[in-house]
Amino acid sequence: MQNPYVPIPVEVVKITTEVDTKDIKTFRLAFVNKEDEAAFRYLPGQFAELSLFGKGESPVGIASSPTQPGYLEFTVQKAGVVTSALHDMEEGTLMGVRGPLGNSWPIEYLEGKNIVVVGGGFAFTTLRSLTNYMIHEDNRKRFGNITIVYGARTPGLLIYKDELAEWGKRTDINLNVTVDKGDATWTGKEGFVPAVCKEVAPSSENAVTVICGPPVMIRFTLPVFFDLGFSKENIITSLEMRMKCGIGKCGRCNVGSKYVCKDGPVFTLAELDELTKEY
Amino acid sequence: MEKRLIKKDTLADIIAKMAGDVLVYAPVKEEDNVLFKVLEAGMKPLTRYANTKNAPKNFFFPHTEQMMKFTRTEKGAVFAGGEGKSPEAVLFGARPCDARSFVLLDMLFDQDKYKDPFYIEKRAATTIIALNCVHPPYSTCFCTSVGGSPTSSDGVDVALTELGEDYLVEFLTSKGEKLLKYFGDVKAGDAEVNQRVQIGEQAAREIKSHIPAAEIKPILDVNFEHPYWATIHQRCLACGTCTFLCPTCHCFDISDETKGADGVRIRNWDSCMFPLFTMETSGHNPRPTQKERWRQRVMHKFKYYVDNFGAIACVGCGRCVMYCPVNIDIRKIVEDISRL
Repeated sequence: MQNPYVPIPVEVVKITTEVDTKDIKTFRLAFVNKEDEAAFRYLPGQFAELSLFGKGESPVGIASSPTQPGYLEFTVQKAGVVTSALHDMEEGTLMGVRGPLGNSWPIEYLEGKNIVVVGGGFAFTTLRSLTNYMIHEDNRKRFGNITIVYGARTPGLLIYKDELAEWGKRTDINLNVTVDKGDATWTGKEGFVPAVCKEVAPSSENAVTVICGPPVMIRFTLPVFFDLGFSKENIITSLEMRMKCGIGKCGRCNVGSKYVCKDGPVFTLAELDELTKEY
Repeated sequence: MEKRLIKKDTLADIIAKMAGDVLVYAPVKEEDNVLFKVLEAGMKPLTRYANTKNAPKNFFFPHTEQMMKFTRTEKGAVFAGGEGKSPEAVLFGARPCDARSFVLLDMLFDQDKYKDPFYIEKRAATTIIALNCVHPPYSTCFCTSVGGSPTSSDGVDVALTELGEDYLVEFLTSKGEKLLKYFGDVKAGDAEVNQRVQIGEQAAREIKSHIPAAEIKPILDVNFEHPYWATIHQRCLACGTCTFLCPTCHCFDISDETKGADGVRIRNWDSCMFPLFTMETSGHNPRPTQKERWRQRVMHKFKYYVDNFGAIACVGCGRCVMYCPVNIDIRKIVEDISRL
């Protein structure tokens, strides 16, 4: 019997410090065994347990896209025991990964539709995965217009800056990067994500929005999308809860009858309305 | 299906003999408690007792269990292999309520997609000999309210029923039949089975606690925010006794322990009664007070488990009622909810 608790060995091959506060880093992990890489089939929106022997595990969304073979990427904020140890790591270190876990962004449902990606702060990781998946040359024609609204408090807190610059050069993405407050070098938009969504005003016709960010951003952004005519079935988000096993056994990440680890983390707003508000 | 009769006073020796061949878990007296323990060579199990203080889930889902080993190298820690195979074992003396708990735990640990090999392997390697209740052992017993009975065969491989000076031994599964050789050659027939049926019906009639456990699911479905939830928890000490003694509670924590270059990843029972259970690194806690934790415990047993698996996650053993230090009574809670 395959043991879902045993981590897959990986090597940290690249560490990128994403923000000027230095507490958010992206870790590129390469599989030690080729057969593990072939078996690790995932879709954007899924997560994995990052496993540091001697420290523990931490559930983190997969920030790379399945269209990027050879490695996985995770963008992690330094916060607790495991993520702090991770931040202290150097390239070349061996660690473990358990996954892929959870459901994913509903790729089949998204196909043929216009996609509005809305992200705030560091909660842009699985949205980055989804975006890279959709804009890959093999997949781009499967999706309609792609509109992105991504915001952070300051320019220094935007993650994936190089990639955002690349996306900005493409004509097949309507990219809107905003900061709450700019600095001397910032030439882009200023303003909160909800306000920018209102200004960009993507059509709700044949459209789905996928949205991740701090609760306050989501609270003020949802009314904007309701006004634009998006139904609750077409507003999709991803939940976070404290997790241990990641496979619906250890009993702590449930919201009502649903386990965020295996029934989620991705839910439509319509599905969330059916659940209790215990998250 | 094979049926045998044995003399009552031979049972302890039969089980002791079994313990010479395979691992046997059985009730033994320890200070003032009757507890399930591994039967060491030369030890005899108790055969007359009400029920054990601890539920037998410990043998398939240990309080503390090593999940894997690891070794730290210069390049970081690497996985170093796990535990060996589960030994063949017999669990003797489970009451029918406790035997039933394994059917409920199977639903969780042995799902189609995600299987828990630690539980499944031990469960598969263990044969369960249940001791039917000729009389309900406690006034707090309520098995008949949650789908069980004093002679329920759910989860049982071999069922023992006291009939006067004998035990009727019923071999209910092929796993159970492998133990035939220990139980002599006096065959039992329909007359004894009829006696067992009557004893079971009589025992069920003697049960004093009846609660509308099967009726509250539709009420729970629509009363997540009911003010009633603010009334249960005030005197709760968050000690977790109810969840640790519960035969069906299965929540666990995973943590690492290291010594020098070596370490182990272990899992320990955890409890929805503990504040840290759902506490996130940010400080946010989706269940911030004991009120939400109690709601979770009740909802999990009488609604969420029903939603997910079609069964109530309670076997009516009454341990949580008997051992709660502040007398919180799940029977009263279920009664109260039925009247919301």
